[in-house]
Amino acid sequence: MRELDLFPLWLSLRVAAAATLFVVVAGVATAWLLARKRFYGREALDAVVTLPLVLPPTVLGYYLLVALGRAGPVGRLYEAVTGGPLVFTWRGAVVAAAAGAMPLMVKTARAAIAGVDPQLEDAARTLGKTEWQVFRRVTLPLASRGIAAAAMLAFARSLGDFGATLMVAGNIPGRTQTAAVAIYDATQAGRDREAAALVLLLSAVAFAVLYLTNRLTAAGAK
Amino acid sequence: MLDVRIRKAFAGGFALDVELAAPPGVTILFGASGSGKTLTLKAIAGLERPDEGRVSVGGETLFDSARGVSLPVRLRRVGYVFQNLALFPHMTARENVEFAAARLPARERRARALALLEQFGVAHAADRLPRAVSGGEAQRVALARALAGEPRLLLLDEPLSALDEPVKLGIISDLKALNRGLRLPVLYVTHSREEAVGLGDRAVIYERGRVVAAGEPLEVFGAPVKASVARLTGVENLFEGVVEARDDEAGTMRVSVGGGGCVVEAPLGRQAAGARVTLAVRSGDIMLATSEPRGLSARNVLPGRVSRVEPGAEQTLVRVRSGVEWVAGVTRQSLHELQLETGRPVWLAFKTYSVRVFDDD
Repeated sequence: MRELDLFPLWLSLRVAAAATLFVVVAGVATAWLLARKRFYGREALDAVVTLPLVLPPTVLGYYLLVALGRAGPVGRLYEAVTGGPLVFTWRGAVVAAAAGAMPLMVKTARAAIAGVDPQLEDAARTLGKTEWQVFRRVTLPLASRGIAAAAMLAFARSLGDFGATLMVAGNIPGRTQTAAVAIYDATQAGRDREAAALVLLLSAVAFAVLYLTNRLTAAGAK
Repeated sequence: MLDVRIRKAFAGGFALDVELAAPPGVTILFGASGSGKTLTLKAIAGLERPDEGRVSVGGETLFDSARGVSLPVRLRRVGYVFQNLALFPHMTARENVEFAAARLPARERRARALALLEQFGVAHAADRLPRAVSGGEAQRVALARALAGEPRLLLLDEPLSALDEPVKLGIISDLKALNRGLRLPVLYVTHSREEAVGLGDRAVIYERGRVVAAGEPLEVFGAPVKASVARLTGVENLFEGVVEARDDEAGTMRVSVGGGGCVVEAPLGRQAAGARVTLAVRSGDIMLATSEPRGLSARNVLPGRVSRVEPGAEQTLVRVRSGVEWVAGVTRQSLHELQLETGRPVWLAFKTYSVRVFDDD
């Protein structure tokens, strides 16, 4: 038997890390808006952000392909700035994974931010703090445990994305083939041992992340 | 000088409509819960936006609906102690105060924070988190934090309501001493008449979103303008009665209370004989004697029997049955020396001019 190619697993970890970074920044900002601001269309925004949780991955992948493709608005902008296309690259896989992880991030972080006593924020305002200072020195530290848990969930979710990734990034071995896609590929081609090895490795990483998340949340409840 | 004139209507029918002025010193906002005291503080701090009105302090406008001015909360420089204190749970006592001292250069903040904690007698708790300090200490930390930002005025929302009497009195005297130097206008919301009279330079009485009385605490609490204010401010002896007879020559009138079980001499009012009135006497104006007093200038001397003794921090209240149930305030020493206890026969004595008579409302 040829040696197991670990590239798909490394790619998955790299994609998940990049997607998590993006999702934490965008997700916390969205969660703060949803938890603290009253504005027209607030619940509509929440619904849009949550959609990837309930839509088939192919539908999400289709939307992303239309938006990010070489003829799509985001894809054209990306190509104009960087000189290369976004789809069928590992960066495309990052966007697909991030879109899938966003609902988990936003839902969890929104609950964490809503759990911070608004009176503490008011107190900081009376002490002369700007909205940014209030967020950074009061809201964020007090919601940090929930946000960290949300980030770990987002990472675990990104690690396992399949459908949207396949549509947006494709299945190019050595370039865009993530672990989840490689498992599918190996099974279809009858390389059962390779599939089983990747399945075990991916499961182990996902289990470790979820276990740590639970420990983190349980410690916070004490 | 703080000047406030605000109006705000709320869903459900409640409306806040108040006008008040607070010079340097402590102004008590007194009234039942839900009467609009906290809303007034929030409107001054900018945490609640009035429908219309004007708030200014020391000549600077914080809010003016007519001119479309509404300074953001952070620029108002208002020291606010919330009812639940709102200390930041993830910061130590010192960090809480330092956080508020941001106007100072970074190097001076720590010294300033420690000096303030020292001033309030909680320097020993500087490195503890709020959850690890006692209620009284947390209170002092919150006061230190409110002052660290060099505020133009101080808003205190029932800051001492949860504390024991001795702790409370200690904090009150510290706060008064500190403000003799600072000369800040301080608005102090409370339910407690002891706090109001002990701390206040002025008192403003709230009722259902409106100011119904304002002035010196003893004046406001001692000579209420309406029977309802008397009830609110705890003039303990408040009885319905009937004017029996007027004596224009002596300038007095006789009022019977408790269905005629007790007749009291009161200063002559404009009420005609037969008029229904409310009669009020402060508990502190009534003397107690264990034998019938003679040669006393007080014209009201009533025999009765002690029905209950209620010890308190500042004074003990003794309830005496004499036609109606009277309440007299005595010191702890008098309580012991006179051996006042339930069932003991006593005489109540008070001056004609300690009696106030209001029209029934």
